[in-house]
Amino acid sequence: MPVEVILPKVDMDMTVGTIAAWHAADGDRVEKDAPLFDIETDKAAMEVESPASGFLHHICAEIGAEVTIGTPVAWIYAEGETVGEAPLVFVKRPVFEEVPRDRDEPAAQREDAPTLTDKTRATPAARRLAASEGLDIAEVAGCGPRGRVQAADVERMLKGPEPDRSWQSARGPLNVLYSGGGDGLPIVMIHGFGADGGGWKALEEALPPGHPLFKIELSAHGRSPLSRIDGFRDLAAAVREAFDALQLDCVHLIGHSLGGALALALSATRARKIDGLTLIAPAGLGPEINGDALFGLARATKVESLRPWMQQLVADPGVITERFAKAAMQSRRDANLRAAQHHMAEALFPDGVQAFDMTVALKELDCPARIVWGRRDRMIPWRHALQAPGTVALHLLEDVGHLPHLERPELLAGLMRDLR
Amino acid sequence: MPDTAAENIPFAVRTYSAEALSEAFRKMLLIRKFEEGAEACYTRGQIHGTMHLSIGQEASAVGACMGLSDADKITSTHRGHGHCIAKGADVARMFAEFFGKETGYCKGRGGSMHIADVAKGNLGANGIVGGGLPIAVGAALAAKRLCTGAVTMCFFGDGANNEGAFHEALNMASVWALPVVFVCENNRYGMSNAVEKSTAVASIADRAPAYSMPGTSVDGNDFSAVAEAVEAAVSSARAGEGPSLVELVTYRWRGHSKSDRNRYRSKEEIAEWMAKDPLAGMSAMLLEHGILSEGDMAEISASVEREIEDAIEYARHSAGPEQAEITRYVYTDLAS
Amino acid sequence: MNVQADAVRTLSYAEALREAMDIALGADQRVVLIGEDIGIYGGAFQVTGDLVEKYGEDRVMDMPISELGGAGVAVGAAMTGLRPIFEFQFSDFATLAMEQIVNQAAKVRYMLGGAVSVPLVMRFPAGSGTGAAAQHSQSLEAWFGHVPGLKVVQPATPEDAKGLLLAALEDPDPVMIFEHKLLYKTRGPVPEGAYLTPIGKASLRREGRDLTIVATAIMVQKALEAAEVLAGEGVDAEVIDLRTIRPIDRETVLESVRKTGRLLCVYEAVKTLGIGAEISAMVAESDAFDFLDAPIVRLGGAECPIPYNPDLERAAVPQVADIIAGATDLAQGRT
Repeated sequence: MPVEVILPKVDMDMTVGTIAAWHAADGDRVEKDAPLFDIETDKAAMEVESPASGFLHHICAEIGAEVTIGTPVAWIYAEGETVGEAPLVFVKRPVFEEVPRDRDEPAAQREDAPTLTDKTRATPAARRLAASEGLDIAEVAGCGPRGRVQAADVERMLKGPEPDRSWQSARGPLNVLYSGGGDGLPIVMIHGFGADGGGWKALEEALPPGHPLFKIELSAHGRSPLSRIDGFRDLAAAVREAFDALQLDCVHLIGHSLGGALALALSATRARKIDGLTLIAPAGLGPEINGDALFGLARATKVESLRPWMQQLVADPGVITERFAKAAMQSRRDANLRAAQHHMAEALFPDGVQAFDMTVALKELDCPARIVWGRRDRMIPWRHALQAPGTVALHLLEDVGHLPHLERPELLAGLMRDLR
Repeated sequence: MPDTAAENIPFAVRTYSAEALSEAFRKMLLIRKFEEGAEACYTRGQIHGTMHLSIGQEASAVGACMGLSDADKITSTHRGHGHCIAKGADVARMFAEFFGKETGYCKGRGGSMHIADVAKGNLGANGIVGGGLPIAVGAALAAKRLCTGAVTMCFFGDGANNEGAFHEALNMASVWALPVVFVCENNRYGMSNAVEKSTAVASIADRAPAYSMPGTSVDGNDFSAVAEAVEAAVSSARAGEGPSLVELVTYRWRGHSKSDRNRYRSKEEIAEWMAKDPLAGMSAMLLEHGILSEGDMAEISASVEREIEDAIEYARHSAGPEQAEITRYVYTDLAS
Repeated sequence: MNVQADAVRTLSYAEALREAMDIALGADQRVVLIGEDIGIYGGAFQVTGDLVEKYGEDRVMDMPISELGGAGVAVGAAMTGLRPIFEFQFSDFATLAMEQIVNQAAKVRYMLGGAVSVPLVMRFPAGSGTGAAAQHSQSLEAWFGHVPGLKVVQPATPEDAKGLLLAALEDPDPVMIFEHKLLYKTRGPVPEGAYLTPIGKASLRREGRDLTIVATAIMVQKALEAAEVLAGEGVDAEVIDLRTIRPIDRETVLESVRKTGRLLCVYEAVKTLGIGAEISAMVAESDAFDFLDAPIVRLGGAECPIPYNPDLERAAVPQVADIIAGATDLAQGRT
């Protein structure tokens, strides 16, 4: 008698499981207790071991099939045992296999058939809320059944993501990208809010060769973990840990915007290791910041809503091409990442105000430092630069916005040509 | 042995005053003229809904109600104009109801089939054959329980005697010995179905023994005979002796309703019954016994004609109900 | 009936009804009880109990097995001065009396242009769960709810059973009381003396944020039981006991739906063309529609007569587990 292989109940309230993988094929020899197939329930994935040694036959639940617990999915025959007819078993096939293929339908019928995507599927409550907030319901991503937009989806879009519900805070060191190389002074770069290590590309290309480049990616940015940041100290501590882990003795530090403030914070605690500092439109030198743009960037779920805010970052909106915006949105497509960033923005810039002050750190710097700022910066007023003591060099650039390293990388690199 | 002289004098003449008999004659004539007037108005398109005419049955309606006061109740049928007038209704308000006016007895909500005059004790005509039978028993129960001394008279037709409600109602009235008189106006047809074809007993009065109550059958076109039979039943009910069944054999000259093509009966049969006109019989009796002269009758007839004309005028000139009040009277207005 | 409701004791639903009838019989000579086996037998469900001993056979009247005739007697008596309380032995038997209820009781006042009222109370032991099968287990209240001129109530608690019966007696129009048979033995606090539970007013039995459960009769108890379990699972259900299905309390339902945005209707009668359809339509036709954040869900009886087999019988009407499952799906946006 062949041994029945059933789909086991592996979870208390489990009634069905889905076959995720088979580790053996029909006719294969299998060993007792060796992994035979994988199942997935709505809670977990699990490996199921073979109940006997022998030859596997009559696999009747293919990958993707949803099987009620206790249902046979295959049989194992002993060596030499005659393989009979496959017993009758009913296994629910995955739904997608039952959907008739498009090409089987007559073309005319296909054209006439109304496409559900013509209309946004949304609840009355969601429509009412969207209308009252002047929001186009079609712009809201629905998380309900069949993509239905529910009131919560609209609220999420209006408020920005709700961090605690939509993402789990993760732990772990910050991600650091490495490039360049050579005997030159290592350069550590800290990007601004909403950017990532890739944002330094234009400057990298303009910088003189021979410098190892370490690009720290902030929490919930780039490939760093989605850690929960409840204040500037949390973030500064994370950067400090990442810096320490690099075990560099002497570096030049470049920080942009929020990264500038973090560079100042790092200078205050790791002064002996910092040879020099380039602060690009640094945050932390005054309370004002363009909160609308900041939160607009954090909230945006579509290229169309991201691009106008990105254009606020630069003096010449033409720099932000659609392609550029798409690429930026691509890196922000993870809703959890957006949620975590939103949470961070609320902690660092509550009500659109810079809630941390780095002017003391700036005044106590004891290494050569320069501030580079675009005079047409619409994010942080360039006049904050005037907080700097006389020992800090100021470069106030005409016709440049908040991203000098993107808008004028050569000019910026030129300012830094004295790097050892 | 009753004396011969008394035997030759009809019950009605012996029993009622000249005024009462004159009034009975007037009511019978009023019913006839009212229905002729209603038929004419319907034919001219002035009345919206159908109606069931009782022309030819006037003696039964008026004769049956002779022993009733306003405190006594009646339940009526779809062929109920005669009962309503016999019980004392104002024909002007009846016409107003037929015209669907707010001044009608039912404020234009009921029409011919639900004509009622609750103040005079008429609990209403009924569109459901047999519908009034249990209701009459209920009214009799209330009268008994509240010791009002009132009697309820339940008019129904030959068709209703085959309804379950008839049998249930008679049984309960008898079991509880209630003051109710069941008056069957057997006009020979339930719409088109002849009573011989629909009813297992030869006389509807034969149903009475099954419910242990007296049952009599009389000529329903003979005013005096009707009054005599029904008075006896009313007295018995009033005396607490329980219900009775009285069958009044009569005939409707007109069809069942205005849509009847009269295919189920012959012209000869209709002519035969028209020859037994209850009004003619009543006139002859009153003349014979010197209650009314031909001149009196002509005078009454003229006054009835005027009353009908005035009533129709009143109905025509009355206002109809407001559309906004369509749901009024569904429930009792607790605010008023 | 001016006795103040002061003290509260625990009574069964049947006892509460009996107490209401006792109060009414004692206070008003016009009140009579009419029904089958309501005298010496005490009623098929022992609701009238020993009232016949206290008030005699003239006030607590056993009638022949004549539902049509008996109902008509009650209508006629109500039209002419009595205050009858008519008991159907089973609500199913009302099918024999539909003529008198629907054509007469409901319409007389209107047909006569307001000349009479029909202050009639009819009691209908209704619902399944007793193993009495198809002809003794129906929930026909929606039939009556469809008839203008009638009022239809479904008390869910002993307190409301008494208060609604007394309110029905005070009402000048015919009031149909549907009493779920499985509720007769349920116990609850009942104030002493006479008090009125308003007809046409729903009761908010449990406040909640996540969804509104509108339930009738025994489904109210089941919904409350479900709500407790749901609370443990993080679903905060509001439970409305409709109490009256005609006239329906629109505002209580709409207000709740405006708050929760999700509606679950639970009733024992056959689901199709029932009370749930009415509640759903009421919401869909109102401004509360704008607040709906999920499709409306109805849980009602199966599309079959009530079966005899106990498992089938249970499966034929919504149970607590069904309500929990329905409410969870609804609250979590899976519908």
